[in-house]
Order: sequence, then C-alpha cells, then structure tokens
Amino acid sequence: MIEVVDTVTLTLDGRQITVEKGKTVLQAALEHGVSLPYYCYHPGIGIDGSCRVCIVKIEKMPKLQTSCSTVCTDGMVVDTQSPDVHAARAGVFEFLLINHPLDCPVCDKGGECPLQDFSYTFGPDNSRMEFPRRVFDGEGVKADVDFGPTLMLNRNRCIMCTRCVRFMGLVDGDAQIGVINRGNGSEIGTFNDEGVHSLMSGNLVDVCPVGAITTRDYRFKSRPWDNPSVTDTICTQCSKGCNTTAWLKAKPEWAKGSSLIRFTPRFNADVNQYWMCDIGRFNYRWVEGDDRLRAPLVRDAQGTQQRASWADLMPKLRDRLAQAGQSSPDGVKFLVSAHASNEELFLFRRLTEELLGPSGPSTITVSWRVTPKQQPPRTTFKVPAVDAPNVNGARAFGLVTGAVGDPQGPSNVGALQAAVAAGSVTALFVFDPGPDGTLGDSQWLLDARAAGQLPLLIVQGVLMTSLAKAADFVLPGASFVEKDASYTNDQGWLQATSRALATPGDAREDWQILVDLASGLGVQLGYTSAATVRGDIAARMGGAVGLVGIEGLAFASTMSARTWLQASNPSERWKWDFMYQDLPPVKGAVEPSSLPPPPGLIPLKEVK
Amino acid sequence: MEPLLTQDVRKPNGYTLDFYVEHDGYAGLRRALGMAPDQIIEMVKASGLRGRGGAGFPTGTKWQFVDKKSPNPRYIACNADESEPGTFKDHVLMERNPHLLIEGCAIACYAIGAKVAYIYIRGEFLHVQQVLEAQIAEAYKAGYLGKNILGSGFDCDVWIHRGAGAYEAGEETALLESLEGKRAQPRNKPPFPAVVGLYNCPTAVNNVETLCNVPLIVKNGAEWFAALGPEKNGGPKLYCISGQVKRPGVYEASMHVTLRELIEGERYAGGAREGRTLKAIIPGGSSVPVLLPEQLDVPASFDAVQKAGSLLGSAGIIVCDDTTCMVWLAENLLHFYRHESCGKCTPCREGTDWLHKILHRIERGEGQMRDLDLLASISAQIGGKTLCAFGDAAITPVQTTLKHFRHEYEAHIREGRCTLVADWRARQPIGAH
Ligand SMILES: Cc1cc2nc3c(=O)[nH]c(=O)nc-3n(C[C@H](O)[C@H](O)[C@H](O)COP(=O)(O)O)c2cc1C
Ligand code: SF4
Ligand code: SF4
Ligand code: FES
Repeated sequence: MIEVVDTVTLTLDGRQITVEKGKTVLQAALEHGVSLPYYCYHPGIGIDGSCRVCIVKIEKMPKLQTSCSTVCTDGMVVDTQSPDVHAARAGVFEFLLINHPLDCPVCDKGGECPLQDFSYTFGPDNSRMEFPRRVFDGEGVKADVDFGPTLMLNRNRCIMCTRCVRFMGLVDGDAQIGVINRGNGSEIGTFNDEGVHSLMSGNLVDVCPVGAITTRDYRFKSRPWDNPSVTDTICTQCSKGCNTTAWLKAKPEWAKGSSLIRFTPRFNADVNQYWMCDIGRFNYRWVEGDDRLRAPLVRDAQGTQQRASWADLMPKLRDRLAQAGQSSPDGVKFLVSAHASNEELFLFRRLTEELLGPSGPSTITVSWRVTPKQQPPRTTFKVPAVDAPNVNGARAFGLVTGAVGDPQGPSNVGALQAAVAAGSVTALFVFDPGPDGTLGDSQWLLDARAAGQLPLLIVQGVLMTSLAKAADFVLPGASFVEKDASYTNDQGWLQATSRALATPGDAREDWQILVDLASGLGVQLGYTSAATVRGDIAARMGGAVGLVGIEGLAFASTMSARTWLQASNPSERWKWDFMYQDLPPVKGAVEPSSLPPPPGLIPLKEVK
Repeated sequence: MEPLLTQDVRKPNGYTLDFYVEHDGYAGLRRALGMAPDQIIEMVKASGLRGRGGAGFPTGTKWQFVDKKSPNPRYIACNADESEPGTFKDHVLMERNPHLLIEGCAIACYAIGAKVAYIYIRGEFLHVQQVLEAQIAEAYKAGYLGKNILGSGFDCDVWIHRGAGAYEAGEETALLESLEGKRAQPRNKPPFPAVVGLYNCPTAVNNVETLCNVPLIVKNGAEWFAALGPEKNGGPKLYCISGQVKRPGVYEASMHVTLRELIEGERYAGGAREGRTLKAIIPGGSSVPVLLPEQLDVPASFDAVQKAGSLLGSAGIIVCDDTTCMVWLAENLLHFYRHESCGKCTPCREGTDWLHKILHRIERGEGQMRDLDLLASISAQIGGKTLCAFGDAAITPVQTTLKHFRHEYEAHIREGRCTLVADWRARQPIGAH
C-alpha cells in the first residue's frame, strides 16, 4: 500500500521545496540542508519559542518569525539570509553572550557546544557589554554546584532554554527542575536544592545546549577532540536495547586508564527516541575495570585458580566434562544468562543437540535478573525490569517459554535448582557475559557448591564474580562492546552491538570459545566467524519471529567522531565542515581518510 | 456625557446588590437570557466595543473567534491584573461597582457558551478581592449566578483567582498559564486563546472594563452604545490621569473628549500645578510613546491617539511637567520593566537589564555619548523579536525619550549630572513591587 503523505510546497532561500504537511519551517530548513540555529526547540521535547535565535523572514508577515514555531504552508516564501535576518539573529546572539561566562577552556561542553558553534556562525564578532556579568553561585568553576547524584550544575552558563525543565516534565514525568525567580534573575533549580534524582538524568546533559549541566561521570575527563573515535552500538543492560554510541578516548600506547569514556543515545523512533537511561549510560566501567577476566583460569590440585593458556585449559576441560558426562549422561547442565546473544544461544543449542540428541537443549536453563525500576508513573520512557537484552532471543530459540514480544517476567530456574539440590548435576556450565549480578540470584549455586553438590563448575564470562571465583574453569569472554552480536529486544526488534574495543588480554569472543569447546568435545560445528553462525541461524530458522534478517545484519566499525556526526546528524554536519579544521592532530586518533564510509547500520532517521 | 460605569461609585452603598438591583441592575442579563447567544455577539460587534485592556481589539469579533466546534468546555477569563503603570480604573469598578462586572461575566459566558468565568485579580488587590467575593456570594444567593439562572436553564459560575503580583501575568496567555497554576509566562501565538486557551479549551480573555460595558450594550442597544463615542470607538471610557496635575484620578467620558480637556479641563484633571508647564504626556500606560503638549488636541479615542503617534492603551494618562527629568523617567520605567520581565525569551530577559544599566549610568552622570547609540541599538534588537508584546512595551520609554528629549541625555553626559533638579542624586526608582 502506498502511503499518501500530504505535502506543502514553499520557497526557502529561493529554492522550491516540498515537505510533509505539519512540518515547521525550522524542520524543513534542517531537512534541506539549510543551517539555522535553535536552542529551545528540541525534536524530543517540542517547541517553546523562547530563545528567539531561529528567527527568519516570511513574506507577508510584518515581523520576523521564529521558524521553530511556524508551520509551513503552501506558497510560503522564507528567507533565512536577508540582511535583516542576519542582523536580528546576531542581536539575539549578542544577548545570549552578554552574561555568559565564556569559560570554554574549562567547560566540558567546549568543542561540542551549540552555543559556541552557533555563536561563531551567526553571532556578532564582538560584544558591547561593559558591565560585570551575572553571577549566581560564584565565579569560574566555583559556580559548579551539586545537581543530584549524577550531575553538576553551573548556572552562570545557562541560557534559559528550559529544555531541561521540559525534559523532566514531558519525558521523565516528574517535573523536578523548575525556573526560580524572574527575568534577568531567572535560574534553574530544584526544590530545596535537592538536585535531580532520576533514572533519566544523563539525558539532561545531552539536551542542555551549553555546559550548564554536566555529568559527574564525564566531568573533566576528556575533550571532544580527544575522543575522536565512536562506534554505533546498542545498550544491552536491559530488554529495551537503546541505540547508543560508544565513545573512545584516543590515547597513546603507554597511557593507562580506560579508553571507553562515555555512552550517548542515538535516535531510534521505535526503540528509545532520543534517550537512554542512566544505567546504560553510566554503568560501563566494569568493561575495562580491575575485575575483568583477562586470562583463562584452571583450579589446580591444591584448590587454587591458576592462570592457564587456552591450549592448556581445553584438554583438561574436555577430560573433566567427558568424565562427568560418562558418569551421568544427563548430569551436565547449562545455565545461560539472557545476556547471551542470538549467536551464542544458537551455539549452545547446537552443541547440546550434537552431544545429546534432539532433547539436548532441555539441559539449558536461561536466567536473568529482574529489578523493577522506580520511575514516575507519567514517564514516557519506561525502563524495563528485565536486566538482560535477549529474553526474546532465547524464546526464538525455544529455550524460554513464551512468544517473542510477550511480556517478560522473572526467569524460571526451579528445575535446575531442584536437580542441583537432588545431587544429580555432575557438571554445570555457566555462561555469564553481562555485568555482575545480571545472571540473577546465584547464591543457591554457591551454597550447593560449598555443600559439595556441584562436582564441576565451569564459568564463561567477563567478570570475576563470586561464581567465577568458585569455578574450576574460568573462560574469559567478550563484553557487549567487544563483539559484533545480535539481540532481540522486548518489542521483538533484532538489533546489533558492534565491536568498539578489542577483548582484553587472552579473552576471546564467545562464539570462538564455544566452537573450540565443541571441537574439543569432538563436535565439529564448522563455523569460522560469527557471521557464519548467523548464516546458519538464517538457514535453519531464518523465518523465526525475532530472527528475521539476521544473516544480513550490518555492524558499525569504529570511525572518527567527525564521520559519525556527519552520518548521524545532518544538522550538525556544517559544524564539522566549518570548524575543527585547524585543530592539531591527536595522538592515536583515527584518521578519517583511513576509514571506510559510514555503514548504514541501524538505519538513521532524519532529524525531526 | 454623564457617567455610566462610575455614576454611583461615591455612594456609600453603591456597591451592594440591593442598590444595584434597585437601579435596574441585572436587567441586561435578564434580557440576554431571552436572546440567542449569537445575537448577543452580533450586538456587541455592532456596538463597536473595543477591548479596554490595552490592545483595543473589537470584543464581539474576539467572541466570534471562540471555537464553537470544540468538544471542550469554553471559558471566560476576566483580566483584572491591572498592572500597567499609570492604570487604576479596573480596581475602581471592581471595588465600587462589582455587580456590573459580575453581570458582564455572566452575559459573556452566555454569549460564548461558557459556564465558568475566572476573574484573575492582581495579587496586590486583596481588599478588592474581598469586596468582590462577598458580592459574588450575594449574586449566587439571589440567583444571578449558579444553577438555572433566573429560571432560564443557564448555569454560570464565577471564580476569583488571585495572582502573585507580576505585571506579565496581565498578558493574556501568561494569565492563562498562571490560572493553571504555572509560572506567569506567555505562550506562543498562534494558537490564540480563543482556540486553545485555559486548560487547552477555547477561552475569551477580556479586561474588567470591557466586560463592564457589556450589560450596558445589552440593556440599551448597540446603536445607543456606538453613538456615545466617535465611530468605532463607542461607549463610555475610563481615563486614569496621574502625575503632575492638579486633580489626578479616574474620569469617565466619551471618547469624543480630547486629551487636552482631560488633562487641563476643569471637569477633569485641572491642568499642571501652579507655576508649572506641561512637558510630556504618556497617554496609554507606561508602554506607549510620549506625546508633547502641542499634540493634545485630539480625541482620546483608540484611533485618534494612534494617529497622533501614540496609543490609547489602557488609558493610563501619565502627565509630566517641566520638573521631570526624561532620563530619570526612562531609567525609572526600565527599572520597572527589567524587574517585571518574565525572563522567558532572550531579548527581553537580557536586553531590559542591559538597557537599565546603561540608563542608570547616564542618569548618574557616568555615561558617554556612545551610550546613546547603544541604547538605540539594543532597543532595536529587542523590538519585534520577543515572544510577547512586553519587549516592545519595554523599549518604548527609551525610544520615545531619545527621540524627543535627546538633548536631556546629552546634557547628562556633558555635565556629568542631572541638570534639571538639584536633588538628583537622592532619587531612587519608584517601581511597583
Ligand atoms: C505585558 C502585558 C501586560 C498586560 N497587562 C494587562 C493588564 O494588566 N490588564 C489587562 O486587562 N490587559 C493587559 N494586557 C493585555 C492583555 O494581553 C489582553 O490584550 C487583554 O486582557 C484583552 O482584553 P480586552 O480585549 O478586553 O482588552 C497586557 C498585555 C501585555 C503584553
Ligand atoms: S540548564 Fe541547560 S538545558 Fe536547562 S535551561 Fe539552562 S541551558 Fe537550557
Ligand atoms: S518579551 Fe519575553 S521575557 Fe519579556 S515578558 Fe514577554 S516572554 Fe517574557
Ligand atoms: S528554537 Fe525557535 S525560539 Fe528557540
């Protein structure tokens, strides 16, 4: 069926353009590559008409009009470049800066700041302000005050666009931020100065067009030109699967510290709009943290875990597993976290089928943690309770009951628990590639192990969890930012994470570990890459709901931030064309020309 | 013209329901309830009644714009915020002739199909509110408000909402925000309140004096009302005359009356004080351009004052004699505007404060000649670029004094002091707080 879209045709800077009915002049201009500044407007939180920088000339209207609040009509003639528009716009920019501290060198937003960018492009080249600037909480960085557990606020930098206020009211659903006082003394604040307490707080930093709101996490940690590499990926910390971008700091070989320095949300109309929650945004340090598994471990005769090479570990593991299998053919069980990707779930299925026949997959139990999130009832962004990305994938593979897209409740590990308690489990293979605890309750396993009910415990995962500490074999795998893998979110969308980092130390990608393990057990699965695994999924069950199109999934490669911004946000494109040209090269930065053109990974939507 | 709105305001019991009913009160409502709502709107249109809140927009036309097709309820919001400097007429009407307003609210509700009228009253008018509330209660008791009014089947409630004391709350959309319990900051227009108003429902916002004229029209007819004033400026008008005149106060007249009669006439303000001469007149509240003494021989009507180069606005006529320093006047008014700017939009929030700082510097004798260009330029940067009309209002005192009294600014800068009065250093802005 062809969808008939009502359109209107107007003239924009002398060009005839046709846009969907209902679009504003600002939207039309941005879609057609005309740069217009805007602050109070944000596609996710609507029109305010207060900042006044988006003014344009519209024929037959007596005054200049704000393009953000003017809907396109047929035959409208819009001019964004006339001398009076230039002058008026520059006037508003002069006003925006007369009280702005201009402390860009110490401001986190510096380098990616719409106030800087638009002022350079549209503002006057000097200011006529001769009076002391407005100061709220102190001069310089002393003006930074607490703004809740995740944020800092610098009121001097604020331009009163009220995006933060409207975000809290419209998206978060709890209008914690308000404007205090009036006129020139207006300031952003929270009741009793309590700050923002919200699962969505990090988005305030994205919506704030200046450095007034900053995250404690990213504060003073890097500068935009020091983190020139980005990878488009998705978040796997819950069943929603927000589309995100992983930002990497470029650093010389010898430098310590992590290279993953922040996550930002990426627009996806169907999944997360413009937002992501604080769990996904801030909980990433474990990826490069001290608890990360970097080498295989084997428990020796004295009972201590010793580092081993994969070549040492595999035969020992094979022998112990074979032994356990022989003593009790269905005594070998698998406990797989719903953090397992579709590829990994499929491999577990294949492995058990090959070893035990068609009933093999019944030895697999999929487990996940459920944490109800405290959110305002009116929120438009619900963070699901399931702390794992792929319950629906497990359903698609028949490992969890229910259909893809059904509501998701707690996992059911009762049968496995009973078998362990009955002492009938001779070996348990745990796969736990998510952050600590997301496998769900594991205390019962530790207790069983201590009670001698679990003779053999194997853990494949990413962190030195208490379960890994108790294991006989520890197999270091890859976290979600270290592999190209696919997941089926709670709505049934098939989405992909992309490799932004290499696996640390001797850790390997999990498909590789499982294929090697199978081979050790005498099963030749024949896969040579994760892509061949996906090809086989498509061949065997390509039509399954939640897995359609898996063979054709494209993955993002790490690319320069410049390329990323060009691909993802056309309205920012000019920034990279006109600015940053004269910045000194950063050591370790990815040279844009060395990169392939941006892949069309998860299709990027037009700027709204 | 004999007073029609204010003839009984000096009588001790003139405000009571008994007095009002004895003097033909609520006859307009009775008559209205026997008419079709559209007939009333037509009648108000034909009467030429124009809004008394400032903009002078035809009231009947405004009512006609109220969206009749909307499934939502409709509202009347009576603007009783009266904060424009130099304006003090609505408060006389509410305090001394409250039933006229109540009757006007009820007729207006009937005409546009509303069941509720909100009177948004200025925060400082506590005593007025108490009078009004008591009289509303009386009207309910007598069956002029409430359910099934006068047996007609028409229901109407009138509620009072007291503001928190902000000039901007008088702007119609800011008033609606404030009524909804939010900050008194204006909304984007369009949509206009007639389509999306209070609680997103169609709403007519009308000034107190505007609504007080409605019963007169219904009672006496549109032609009678129109004939009271010049063409398109029908009806009686209240003028608030303040400043350096012999008898400041509220005067009622037809809009045939000239500004000079109002200011100098013996029936009215009686002219400048002994030994003084007129210097400048601001005819419509502080937000309009000044007129010079030689420009006063025009009718004090919306159209004539506009033709003379100013605006009738709220008819708050501020008179300055030769002792008034125009730089100080501008500084004083900008002190008010910078304090009252709601802060929502950039040019007004930042610009009014900047203007005031420069004016203050000049008034203190620390200005420089280039400040005058700066004042003009900042004003132009604000004018026409703001979200609501406040921005244009705020720059008017600067632009108009610069235009007519530039020599006074230059004298301040040259002499480093105010050349007009000896005690200039001791003067403080007298803004409303
Ligand atoms: C800054 C500003 C302040 C205003 N204050 C008042 C006021 O105090 N009282 C009033 O009646 N109208 C005020 N107005 C005008 C109202 O916006 C509106 O035009 C009026 O209430 C409409 O009523 P009317 O048509 O009966 O005049 C103000 C307008 C602006 C822009
Ligand atoms: S803190 Fe940022 S988002 Fe909030 S009003 Fe100020 S500039 Fe806008
Ligand atoms: S012009 Fe702007 S800041 Fe001034 S009162 Fe209107 S909306 Fe508020
Ligand atoms: S973006 Fe249009 S007024 Fe702010």
